[in-house]
Amino acid sequence: MTPLEDDLKQALKRQEPAADFTARVLARCAAAELSSKRRFFWSAPVWRMGLAAAAVLLMLVGGSVYQRHEHEVKGMAAKRQLLLAMRIAGTKLQEVQQRVKESEQVEQ
Amino acid sequence: MKRSLLKLAIVAIAVAPVWAADDFKLPMDLEKLAERATESVDVTLDQSTLALASGFLSKDDPEEAQVKKMIGKLKGIYVRSFEFDKEGQYPMSDVQAMRAQLKGANWSRIVGVKSIKGENAEVYLLKNGDQIGGIVVLDAEPKELTIVHIDGSISPEELSRLGGHLGIPEMGKTKKKTKGDSATPQAKDEDEQRMEKEQ
Repeated sequence: MTPLEDDLKQALKRQEPAADFTARVLARCAAAELSSKRRFFWSAPVWRMGLAAAAVLLMLVGGSVYQRHEHEVKGMAAKRQLLLAMRIAGTKLQEVQQRVKESEQVEQ
Repeated sequence: MKRSLLKLAIVAIAVAPVWAADDFKLPMDLEKLAERATESVDVTLDQSTLALASGFLSKDDPEEAQVKKMIGKLKGIYVRSFEFDKEGQYPMSDVQAMRAQLKGANWSRIVGVKSIKGENAEVYLLKNGDQIGGIVVLDAEPKELTIVHIDGSISPEELSRLGGHLGIPEMGKTKKKTKGDSATPQAKDEDEQRMEKEQ
């Protein structure tokens, strides 16, 4: 038998557990169970899904509010441009009519 | 089959310029004038922007309600206006190019006023049968150039009715810009001129 085989045999030799081994394992199991019960509140899938849904809802509402605001800004700008265009068009036509009227008066 | 398609394509190509002849396009070079102008206005409202603006016009405000009703039939409004501190700041070729576009069969010059001070104001109407398909107001003064193109069904009377509203002066209260000028009236309907020629 080689020295390596001797070492392996020695290392893998069957050993009886200590007398309090069972008690220690049971105590640790009980502690782990208690800890998991405490964490359940935050780690439960229902809460995770709820939080995710709330985040998505918040993003949707935020996006919708932003889009509405953008639409309003563009609409008001378009309205201002339209009124300006109508003002210029109307004024120019009035000026032309006025000039025609004046020239007719000059002719008479 | 191939021959008939070919004939159709030839007819389409031949007819296309006739349709396009009624399209009025503002010259691209016009935008460059803004650099030389002391004041410039550039308004481009296509059909979708008009629809958007219409949604923001109040039904309760009589002025806005009138505009809302008016723009319902429009395809676009385009305004370019430039004011200069010196004379001769814009090329007459631009004005002539626009006038050339307005010589199409369906366009008719309803008003033309020319003064010795070099103020030229013209109003053109696009006729689609009995309907008016658009208006172009071309006002070329020594220090000012204004082009208004209203694409769609609208009459000058409708626009004139806005006088006294939206900051548009009432008829007869317009600032006399031509005071001291001996303006030459050229207010003739081109259709009448054509009829006279035919006779």
